Amino acid sequence: MATAPASPPKIALPKSRPEWLENFLGQLGALVLSMLIAIGLGAIIIILYGENPLDVYGAILSFSITANDGPAYVLSIATPLIFSALAISICFKAGLFNIGVEGQFLVGMVTASWAALRLDFLPGPLLMWVVLLFGALGGMAYAAVPAILKVKTGAHEVVTTIMMNGIAISIVAWALNGPLKFTNAPPGQNVDLRTDPFAKNALVPDLGHVFGWGPAPHLSWLLPLALVATAIVWFIVKRMRLGYEARAVGASSGSARAGGISIGAVQIKLFLISGALAGLVGMQQLLGDRGYLPKNYEATLGFTGIAVAFLGQNNPIGIVFAAILWAILARGESGLQIETDMPREFVIILQGILIMSVVITYQLAKRRLARRQVRRAAAEEELVTAAEEAA
Amino acid sequence: MSFGDLGFAIQIAFTYYTVIYLTGLGGLFSERSGIVNIGLEGMMIIGTVTGSFGAYYFGAKLGWGVPMGPIMGLLLGMACGALFASIHALATVTFRIDHIVSGVVINLVAVGLARFLSTVFFEGQSTQSNPGQPHMHTIDIPLLHSIPGIGRAFEGLSPFVIVAFLVVIPVWFALNRTRWGLRLRSAGENPEATRSLGVRVAPLRWEGVLLSGAFAGVAGAFLSVEIVNNWREGQTLGLGFIALAALILSNWNPVRLMGAAFLFGFAQAIPLALRDWPIIRSIPEQFVNMAPYVITIVVLAGFVGKVRPPAAAGKAYEGSSGL
Repeated sequence: MATAPASPPKIALPKSRPEWLENFLGQLGALVLSMLIAIGLGAIIIILYGENPLDVYGAILSFSITANDGPAYVLSIATPLIFSALAISICFKAGLFNIGVEGQFLVGMVTASWAALRLDFLPGPLLMWVVLLFGALGGMAYAAVPAILKVKTGAHEVVTTIMMNGIAISIVAWALNGPLKFTNAPPGQNVDLRTDPFAKNALVPDLGHVFGWGPAPHLSWLLPLALVATAIVWFIVKRMRLGYEARAVGASSGSARAGGISIGAVQIKLFLISGALAGLVGMQQLLGDRGYLPKNYEATLGFTGIAVAFLGQNNPIGIVFAAILWAILARGESGLQIETDMPREFVIILQGILIMSVVITYQLAKRRLARRQVRRAAAEEELVTAAEEAA
Repeated sequence: MSFGDLGFAIQIAFTYYTVIYLTGLGGLFSERSGIVNIGLEGMMIIGTVTGSFGAYYFGAKLGWGVPMGPIMGLLLGMACGALFASIHALATVTFRIDHIVSGVVINLVAVGLARFLSTVFFEGQSTQSNPGQPHMHTIDIPLLHSIPGIGRAFEGLSPFVIVAFLVVIPVWFALNRTRWGLRLRSAGENPEATRSLGVRVAPLRWEGVLLSGAFAGVAGAFLSVEIVNNWREGQTLGLGFIALAALILSNWNPVRLMGAAFLFGFAQAIPLALRDWPIIRSIPEQFVNMAPYVITIVVLAGFVGKVRPPAAAGKAYEGSSGL
């Protein structure tokens, strides 16, 4: 008696797409959705304030994109944010929070200023490269402290780096009062306001004129350098052993240790790279905008970098776009003030809502993706079992 | 060196103790329920701006005067701190986002929100309100303020400082002698066991986070209303993080937290009151200003390995639909 042919099991497989495509679509969908949420919530606030959302959003975009020097301003604002967000993200790969980028970039500005003023005998562009190197080394040295404390004592890096930020503010004040004191102050002027001007060859040359933009936005060659840094971080994370180990530690420190990874060594290495990137955050204002270290330097770039890193989902390429998006909003602040009655602080609220919705939406999308994968694996298993039973 | 300086330093330490202790208690409620709260600083910031507005609005605009204006300011700061903390609760308890990510975002959002609220509250001033707002009448502690030498420590204190010393009694009782306190702590130690006894974890954690916002908010309001007498951007000075360090040093215990908060409060007083002491005088001013931060780092690094955080703090509870 012949056995009946096995009837095909009636299990509907979830639609099958290649995994990278599913990942990409999931991330893109989460990003678009969270931006829509932020724009929508922002519109509600604008209406409650008695303004027209289209006018307000239009003012932001016209000022930062269609205005003459708009794109140059946007890119020069984005430059330090790229360094800052990269610094955050490389630590975050291993689950470390370097909230100390703020302090590290301040110290980087001090060490770079010292090099610019004291090593000014160096010829030509060599001085600029040495100054940049000193900035990176300053940030790196300052990041080493919380890294070592974390590994040796277990002191949480969030608290120690925040304290280090407080200390860094005093270090800048001390440097402006002591070792880097302004020597040529005109009579009657406070001497601790700034350092002496740097030599011309310590500065980073202008890039804006290449595209026909004026000198006012100070778009400099630091932007290409930031893109190079982005590529290096991408290479470290995706292609080097350290990047693999970092992701292993970030995913599960227990299994990473069991896999023979020295967690402390990975954490210290990442913190040092992060500190070096952080040390370059201040170079745009130091060597692009001003040519000296002022007392009223632009602060909080380290904190903004956290937001940009989250917005870019800690992906190096995502960070570049996130920094530009952030800069569009930041530049748009002035547009708000000039063209509408909305307070410029609305932009900060909008940025905050954007971050919150990105973080939550992305997390939910990731969970949905994981559930789908589990479902599909279960369905496939059922198929196999059914086929085995039939055989 | 004079004892007068020491009395002044202790008086300042009482002030900072109040801020650090109350904020630390906030962190304690949150972390003992299982939610790590790095966002205390942000919740304090919201407390400073809304508290200052409350004191100004109820005290001056509605004519409620002293002490009702400042009291309303403190209450408003407390309520708004809790309201703001609900974002952290929503993100961590309901959506199960990483607690530290959410806390960091909370701190970022708070700075911008405070500026925005300030322009709405204080006629377009985005970084401070008008100085010299009314505060409660200060008090001298009977007997103690006449101690020779350091009596100054007990003079001119805000009545709210006394509250910050007495609040340990109800807090200790609620945590250790009520059913709610036992359940809250169990949610932070072993949520699976809590759930298996038929107690829902999520509401407990929501309560822990909202309480942390209320405590941090009232601490921030105390700073702006009672001490500085106006709102200024950045006036929280990282005290929310110092409170976290104090919480770790206290081993998540409300009684020991008093000592830790006073220690860090005293560290804050060094650059303000002890600048003329013999050794300190010879150190450059900027290095003396670092003292509170350096002391926090050293103490934290020295003690962190010797304490035990709530076992489930920082971990999402993934039980059936997260309840």
